[in-house]
Amino acid sequence: MYWKYCVTRICSGIVIFVIIVFIFSALFNTVAEETARGQIAETLKAEMSGLRGLSHEELLHYRETRYETMYHQYHLDRPLGERIIWRAIDSLTLNFGKSTMIKSRAQSDNVWTIVSECIPPTVLLFTTAIAIDILIGLWLGLKKAQRAGGIMDKGTSIGTMVVYGMPSWWLGMIMIMLFAYVIKIFPSGGLYSTPRPSGIAFVGDVLYHMALPVITLVIIGFWARAYLTRNIVLGVLQDDYIMAARARGIPERGVLYGHTLRTAAPPIVTMALLSLIVSFGGNIIFEGVFSWPGMGNLYWVAIQQNDVPVLMGNLIVTTALYIAGLVILDLIYGFLDPRIKVGGRR
Amino acid sequence: MRWSDVKSGLLDFWGEFRRVKSGMVGLVLLVLFVGVVLAEPYIIPYSEAGTRWRDITYWEDRPEGVPPAWLFRGLPPTQTISNYAISEEVIGDVLLYEMVFSYDHRYDGAPQDLIFECEAIRKEPLMLSLSLQRPDDRTVDLLRKEVPPGVSRIRIPISKDEDAKNAAYQFALEYDENVRSDTIKTCEVLFTEARPSTPALRGTYALTAAFILSQDDRIEDARIVLPGKVSGLLGTDGQKRDIWSGIVVGLKWALLIGLLTAAVSVAVGVVYGVMSAYLGGWKDALMQRVYEIFVSIPLLPILIVMSAVFRPSVWVMITMMCIFFWVGPVKTVRSMGLQIKEETYIEASRGIGASDARIIFKHMVPLLIPYAFASMALNVPMAIVYESSISLLGLGDATIVTWGQILHDGFTGGAVLRNLWWWILPPGLAIAIVSMSFAFIGFAMDAILNPKLRTR
Repeated sequence: MYWKYCVTRICSGIVIFVIIVFIFSALFNTVAEETARGQIAETLKAEMSGLRGLSHEELLHYRETRYETMYHQYHLDRPLGERIIWRAIDSLTLNFGKSTMIKSRAQSDNVWTIVSECIPPTVLLFTTAIAIDILIGLWLGLKKAQRAGGIMDKGTSIGTMVVYGMPSWWLGMIMIMLFAYVIKIFPSGGLYSTPRPSGIAFVGDVLYHMALPVITLVIIGFWARAYLTRNIVLGVLQDDYIMAARARGIPERGVLYGHTLRTAAPPIVTMALLSLIVSFGGNIIFEGVFSWPGMGNLYWVAIQQNDVPVLMGNLIVTTALYIAGLVILDLIYGFLDPRIKVGGRR
Repeated sequence: MRWSDVKSGLLDFWGEFRRVKSGMVGLVLLVLFVGVVLAEPYIIPYSEAGTRWRDITYWEDRPEGVPPAWLFRGLPPTQTISNYAISEEVIGDVLLYEMVFSYDHRYDGAPQDLIFECEAIRKEPLMLSLSLQRPDDRTVDLLRKEVPPGVSRIRIPISKDEDAKNAAYQFALEYDENVRSDTIKTCEVLFTEARPSTPALRGTYALTAAFILSQDDRIEDARIVLPGKVSGLLGTDGQKRDIWSGIVVGLKWALLIGLLTAAVSVAVGVVYGVMSAYLGGWKDALMQRVYEIFVSIPLLPILIVMSAVFRPSVWVMITMMCIFFWVGPVKTVRSMGLQIKEETYIEASRGIGASDARIIFKHMVPLLIPYAFASMALNVPMAIVYESSISLLGLGDATIVTWGQILHDGFTGGAVLRNLWWWILPPGLAIAIVSMSFAFIGFAMDAILNPKLRTR
């Protein structure tokens, strides 16, 4: 029953997300409230300076009542536990409040508008990079498994270990230095040129700006993909039915692509998608180096401007996307590997 | 399982491990790193680099943003001259006190700066004038200033002084009418043939510092410093700091952060996984739900936000990483634990009344020690990279020096734009090399633990 498995997995994903949002709102309660109080005080100051012809008492009274209504509006007059619950509910309904400094492209200060603008560039960059990454990794991994223990296999395995802990953003800096300032063939950052071109030229311009970050991500990424593909394929190659296929005289290519890859495909696909999700979570600040206007860059900007509401909103949206990715991954894995559907748990 | 069994198991493991070349390379590198950490005071030229990294006065006599010395042999290194000739002359009730520093310039470029320093012990304000005699026998009167009483340490960097700049401008005008007073660099005029982009003028320069003092005043510890165009093994950064010292000092923090985080988080994860497998039932289900919540949190974003909000010290940062890293080995360990649990000796020891804790720690966890080591080795780079990513955003612990912080300073200080590659390249390479040696060790252990992956 595949659909039943789907429903359970999606529900568990939603429940986990809700729990995590509660944890976040408890963890960051103090700083979020400080910011909210600061914002209220600022709004009130602006309101008061606009008032004319009121006596001192009337002003004081106005201030008191406004404070009360606004505190009530933001639930700041409730006990601690209730405030945390309110904040979590606000976050779950994408109501992250107003930013303190950062504005969206349309000059809106709604945090959700600001964060949602950053999602497409991030998705574009990481999916493109991972797609190329997987193609190269899969090809190289198969070659490695074919001649396991050979010079090529050993050499590329060492390559895997060499880039294992290399920070992608550091390689990004080096690439910018080399290919944007020394040899000027790529732009140093951004999503498109400043006089924004239109039509097909715009697509070309975005691709041109995307080239350097994508190349950097691929250079860092494909080694690990190749190594994992090699291990999975090598594991399958030890199975008896492969030996039987070889014994029947099926050519090595046929064994590799027909028999081995058929079994190795589910874990390879999962691994590839998992790497997309992990890369999204782990390389995210890489965008800041290339001033790529995505969610990772938003972390840089929010930290520089000390904009707490944007930081929180960005974290919750990132987490939501991350969990959605994990759920989709499980659904695809369940679809590819029939054994999962029946049990419904791993 | 007794201790001797664990010991023989580990010895077998070691016997296999030493046959893997890459693993041994990793181990040798690791020993080398430990050696560097222990020898730190002897291999860094600035012994207080670790504690006074952000103290501007500690680095003030260094040149700013210059490349490594071994790359450009013709360019001048930093020089300090504290020998000088003295001449005294009493005129009425004042003393004319002159010091002459002579400096032999044998390099292709002019030094970056010329700094005069001394201690003055006195009651009255004093007059000081500096003039430089060039090898072509021309003399430039650099500046003349009154130093108020109470200031005991006098430090005059020529390149920052407006009078000296003006003097240099007037001097350069005699050679070239097109020089501009707003872009002129004092030392580039004084130590060259005075026209823009002309070679350095080699020969003996003499800096004369003349004081007018009252009779019982004294000048001590005078010296001139000429910050060069190259510096040390890895050059200096935009705040005049020696990068080689920063890299060496950063190594111990990288190792500490990596090893401590990996050890604690893997230990917790292994015990958690084994407990989950052994206890089973609702306890297992609950522990798995908790585990699922933790794996569903994206690591780097939560660490970034927590660092931005709580501004942690390095110890709190390590704790934070441990809180989120322990999930790593849980899944594998649990499935291994489920297998071990079914072994007959576990049943036997339960039969003779061994407690759960005894079975878990004495009979199950020791079997997972090799796996735990492999997992730790592969977790070390992750911790190092995450700490540097957080530091890159400027959220690192400001009391220590880490490679991520050097990269943060470089990135925000425009090292990429100004092509100061010696500021960006070494810290990142250091992260990559340390990570690489742990990856060598971890991958080698992994290959031993998964016999299926053995090559034919």
